[in-house]
Formats: sequence, C-alpha cells, structure tokens
Amino acid sequence: MKLRQFQILFSLMLVFAMLLTACAQATPAPTEEPAPATTEEPAPAATEEPAPAATEEPAPAATEEPAAPAETVEITFWHAMSGSREEIVNGIAERFNATHPGIVVKPEYTGSYAETVTKGLAAYRTGTAPTIVQSYEVGTRTMYDSGAIVPVYTLNTGDVDWEEVVTPIRKYYTLEGNLPCMPFNSSTAMIYYNKDMFEAAGLDPNVPPTTWDDIESMSKAIMDAGLATGGLSMGWPAWIFEQMFAYHDQLLANNDNGRSAIASEVYLNSEFGVKMMTRWQELADDDILVYGGREYAANDPFLAGQFPFLVQSTSSLGGILKSATFKVGTAFLPRLGDEYPQGNSVIGGACLWVFDSATPEQQAAAWEFFKFTFSTEEAITWHKGTGYFPTSVSAYEQLKTEGWFEEEPNHATAFNQILGGADTPASNGVILGDFVTIRDIVGAAIEEVVVNGMDPKEALDKATADTNQVLADYISLLP
Amino acid sequence: MSQTRFPNRILPYLLLAPMVVIVIIFFLYPSAQSLYLSVFRVSPLGDRKIFVGLENFTRLLSSKDYLNSLLVSVRFAGIVVLFGLSASLVSAVIANQRLRGFAVYRALMIWPYALSPAIAGLVWGLMMNPNFGLGAVLLKRFTGIEFNYLTNGTSALLFLALAAMWKMFGYNIVFFLAGLQGLPTELLEAASLDGAGAWTKFWRVTFPLLSPTTFFLFVMNTLYAFFEVFGLVHITTGGGPGQATNLLVFNLYKDGFIAMNVGYASAQSILLLIMVATLTILQFRYAGEKVHYQ
Repeated sequence: MKLRQFQILFSLMLVFAMLLTACAQATPAPTEEPAPATTEEPAPAATEEPAPAATEEPAPAATEEPAAPAETVEITFWHAMSGSREEIVNGIAERFNATHPGIVVKPEYTGSYAETVTKGLAAYRTGTAPTIVQSYEVGTRTMYDSGAIVPVYTLNTGDVDWEEVVTPIRKYYTLEGNLPCMPFNSSTAMIYYNKDMFEAAGLDPNVPPTTWDDIESMSKAIMDAGLATGGLSMGWPAWIFEQMFAYHDQLLANNDNGRSAIASEVYLNSEFGVKMMTRWQELADDDILVYGGREYAANDPFLAGQFPFLVQSTSSLGGILKSATFKVGTAFLPRLGDEYPQGNSVIGGACLWVFDSATPEQQAAAWEFFKFTFSTEEAITWHKGTGYFPTSVSAYEQLKTEGWFEEEPNHATAFNQILGGADTPASNGVILGDFVTIRDIVGAAIEEVVVNGMDPKEALDKATADTNQVLADYISLLP
Repeated sequence: MSQTRFPNRILPYLLLAPMVVIVIIFFLYPSAQSLYLSVFRVSPLGDRKIFVGLENFTRLLSSKDYLNSLLVSVRFAGIVVLFGLSASLVSAVIANQRLRGFAVYRALMIWPYALSPAIAGLVWGLMMNPNFGLGAVLLKRFTGIEFNYLTNGTSALLFLALAAMWKMFGYNIVFFLAGLQGLPTELLEAASLDGAGAWTKFWRVTFPLLSPTTFFLFVMNTLYAFFEVFGLVHITTGGGPGQATNLLVFNLYKDGFIAMNVGYASAQSILLLIMVATLTILQFRYAGEKVHYQ
C-alpha cells in the first residue's frame, strides 16, 4: 500500500516536472523580452518608466497628459557585460537617461557574447529584436552580412569625427572603408610577468622580454634557479596566433585580411605561420611553454607563482593586479626576431550594432546613446572601471594629462603597444566569416602541435584546408 | 486480465489528447524540422538556405573532431552507467536494511536528484577547483594526485562523470529501493532456510528478481548520459580542455548556437536520435531477454 502511494506520488511528480520543462521551453520569447511590443506604442512605456525624462523637462504638462509622452523613444540594449561591468553599463544608461529627455535606454544582460549574438539574430527573425546589440569581434562578419543591421556610419549626422576613434580600434572594425558598428569595449594581448621571480633569479625586473628568444632564456634562468616549474602559458591561443601574424605585419587572409572584400583564403600555413608554430613547439618541448587551455585557465599557474610569464588579454589586467601576491610587470608582445617588419597587436572585445527593425526615431536615439558613450568623460569612466581601452583620442589625451598612466603604468603598456604599431591591412588584424568555427579549428591545430607533438606544417596545412572550406561555405550563403 | 471497455467512444481519445498534443509540439514537429534542415546549409540569420543533400552527414562522419566527440560520449556513458548503477545498487541495499535513522539516510541519498544540473555543476566545480577547491586540495595533500579538471583531459572526463553520477544517484536509489521493497519475502526466507548466506541470497535471489528495475535504470541512465548532461558540461568544463569533454550534445550546441551552423547542427541531432533509438532497441532486444518479470 505504502509502495503504491509512493509510486503514485512519484509519477505525479514526474508529470509535474515534465509540465514545468514544457512550459519553460514553450515560452522563452515572452519571458525574456516583454518590452519590444510596447516600443511601438510609447504610451505604456511611460507607465513603466515613471518619467525620469519628464522631471528634467521644464514643461510639466507632460507628466499629466498621457498624450505628450509620444515623444519618448525607448530603446533596448542587449549586452554581454556581466558582474561589475553590468553595473557600469547600467550607470552609463542611467546618466544618459537623466540627461536626455525623450529617450529611455534599457540595458539588458543577455548572457555570453555568443548567446547575445544568437539571441539577437533569433529575435530579429521573430520581430522582437532590440535596437542595439553588442557583438564580439568574431561576430563582426556575421552581423555585417546578416542584412539585419543599419551601418553605424550612416547614422552619423556629422557630429562625430571618425578620426577621433583611436586608430587601431577604428581600423579593426572598418569593413569596405566604413565603420558598420560603434566600437565599445576593446582590449588587446600583452605579456604579464612576475617581477619578484625576476629579482630572485638575478634578472632586472625592469627589463622585460621583447622576443620569444628572451622568453626562452629568461624562463630557463628562472627554472634553473628552481623558482618555477615552467616558463609561460597563453590565454586564447588561437587569438594569440592571430596576434602574432598582425604583430609581424603578415597577412592572414586574402583581400587585405578580409577588409577590401570578404576573405576566401587564409595563410595559416605560410612560412611565417609554420615558423611561429615551430617556435612554440620547441618551447613546449623544453617545458617552457605549458598549454593553458583555450580561455582564462592559463592565468592560474601565473597567479599561483608557478610560471614567470603569461600572454593574455589586457582585459585580465584588473583581475590579475587584484589577485596577484607578487609585483606584476607588463610588456609588449614578444617578437620572433627582426627579419619580419613591425606590425601591430590586434583589437579584441566588442562593438555595438543597430538593427534595421528599429524605427527611425529609435535609430536616431541609438546614435545619441553612442555619442554619449563616446564622450570623453564616459570613455574615461569606462576605462577606469573596466580596464578596456577608452575609444576616443581625446579621452586618451585627457587621461595622459591627468597623469593616470604614470600612476598605472600597466594600463599604459597595452595603449603604447597599439599606438606605437604600424597601420597596414596586415597589422589591423583579420576579419573572417564564421570566425567562431575558424578560431576553433586554429585552437585545435595549436593543441595538436603543442600538446600532442604533431608536425607544425602538417597541422597548419590541415587547418588551412579546413578553414578555406568553412569560408567557401560561408560565402556560398551570401546573397 | 480482461481488457477494460470504455462505454464512451470519444472519451479515450479526449484523455489521450493532451499527451498527443505535447508529443506533437515538443517532439514530432521539432524532429521533422531538424530532419528538414539537416540537408541544408543555413545562414546564421536562417533566411538563406542551400540544399546540400547528405553533405552535412558525410562531413560529420569523416570529421575527426566529431568521431572524437562520439568516442568521448561513449566513454562517458560507459562510466556513468556502469559505476553509477553499481554504486546506487550497493547504497540502496544498505539503505534498505533497518538501521537506526535509515529514513534520514534515504532522504539524504535522494537529495541530489532535486538539484538542477547547473547547481550540481557549480558545487562540483568549486569543490574540485585545482587552485582553491577543498576536494582537489585534500586529494593532492593525502594522495599526491594532481586532479586538475581545467587543464587535464582525463581528470576532466572523470570529474564530469563523477558529478553526473552523483546527480543521478538519488533517482537510481529511489527505484532500487522501491524494487527491493517489492521483493517477495517468502523467497528470501526460503533461501535463508536452505542455508544461503547474505552474498548468495543477493546474487541468486535479490539480483535476478530486481532485474526489471535494473534494466529500466540501465536504459534511463544511458539516455541521461547521452542527452541530459548538457547543463553540467556547459557550466563546468565547456567541452574542454581541448576536446576532452566535448560530448555529442555539447558539440551540437557549439555548432548550432555558438557558430550558428544550423544545418550542420540539425544533422548532428538526427544522428544522435538514430544512435539513441538504436541503442534502446538493442537493449530491449538483448538485455531485455534476460530480464525476469514476475
């Protein structure tokens, strides 16, 4: 009897659980995005936002008459900034809303970069897209080719001089001569090193490595002194491989790295690529380069004081300075010797896109918001709060006169690196279609070489063939 | 047993209707859609399609990464089913004895099933974090074993299997306990009278009588290991390091929702469906024959 009751109870629970999952699957769209329906009719929007705009307005008529708020334009902004970054984004929106009567920006955190782009495009298909969506750098081509966006340069009413955008950032996102999106958060890669270890090994902590040879000899000195079990690990290895091409002014794809026209062929297995990969394999064979995964796991051995060097995104700087128990130094990316010209390091991060489903008023409002994020003051707040580059030149100048870079020399490293580099298609970095899959292919090739000891040429030949196939597939789908 | 007859001819259909509707909406329609998309190459926005025939399938089956993913899944399912079921059976037999406070033990054992995969993943991820996780640190201090699921592929797969087994533990125990309590006591008493020890009684009487439950759980755990561990992977290893924990479901997610290759991902879901269907049919054919129903 007891068992019987139990069985009944259990099956009821199962049914209930199934219903729950069914409901959860059935209604993702309305729970995530209840707002867009209201954006076309400004009246209900005003009830949700109890008029932060109206308080600024000297004419009090608006607060009483429901007809007046017809002027209020509401725009949603989907982004992937989590944690403390989300608070900073919300802060920007609040300050914007307070100073721009008639416009309400609603930032919404929509998950990781990949999830944000996927959700944005899915919402576009169902007619519930936000006005602004943030896309990471590898999503650039996907967004550009989607046919769902309004290029940002067409929204510029002449009040922003594009020359004001820090050159390497502007050049990275420029396709066919124009900026299709508004650069928002940008970072690059650099070397982090453990100054305490340098001192203990008798090296000068103020003379960082400049070449891969330096990394090798310095690592050896530190490892021989018994201070470390390895030399360096790298975060985002496939991205670092891209960085190396640009940093040595080597084209990674045809059509000017995919900028004058879409790239259809990559040069991963060029003489330079093979040489770089071979160098990494040599370092791995000597236990100097230790594979540290595809994202941020590489930071751990560096922070634990096991390795003296780390090659990682500058966006890790804040976290590393906070958690390191030793003095941290930063330096430019290592070079492969002098036979290759000086290029530049590549921008990573994300850009803001406007969907063409937004009304003209919303598009104009989005442009107002972009101008606001681009203003000197906001760009400085953004940089200090997140560690990302300030996008505008005047913000950079202002920070310099404030003496910020003297206080925070590690923040200056990345900046000096990108500002000191060359400005050629090769050093601006590559833009590819279906870049996510391609990064995966290159990441796998690096693993084969560094971890499994595969011949670098063989691994890169395969990666090149696979990548060219991915590009051909991508191009076949273009209109 | 004679067939029950409904006086009303429409009522049975009405009673069945909700389930039929659910199956159509959440199973048949999406499956048909996947089957359709699997022969196309689809643009990220989904507005442009090119018919490619079976190209997605031939590419998958000749892709080293996909075959590796298949191997990883089979290994993972093997560990989860074999060790997970053994551990649950042993625990259920112990919990079935009239020990003091057994109700508390039972409740505690069933607990993990109530957690969402995301929470299970977080708990295990924190516990086994190589830098500050209590589990990993203690393991290293007492056995010298370096358990780094973030950079070591073998550790990562074991870690994931451990968390998956733990999560399924409660579900298995509930069924094993119910099965154990439903066993006819006469048979066990008879065996005792014949002088059988606890070991013999278990293997000769309990285990064969329990076979319907074991078989059911075998099927359920296999499905679980192939289909339902996505949340766990997503929150802990993300398929890494390298491809070490890139299970079939996770690979599908990456291709479909990160890289937005919908056609390619649909082909994978069709393959996955075929695999699991075949597996289940085989299990019913061969393992099912050995099951003793009372």
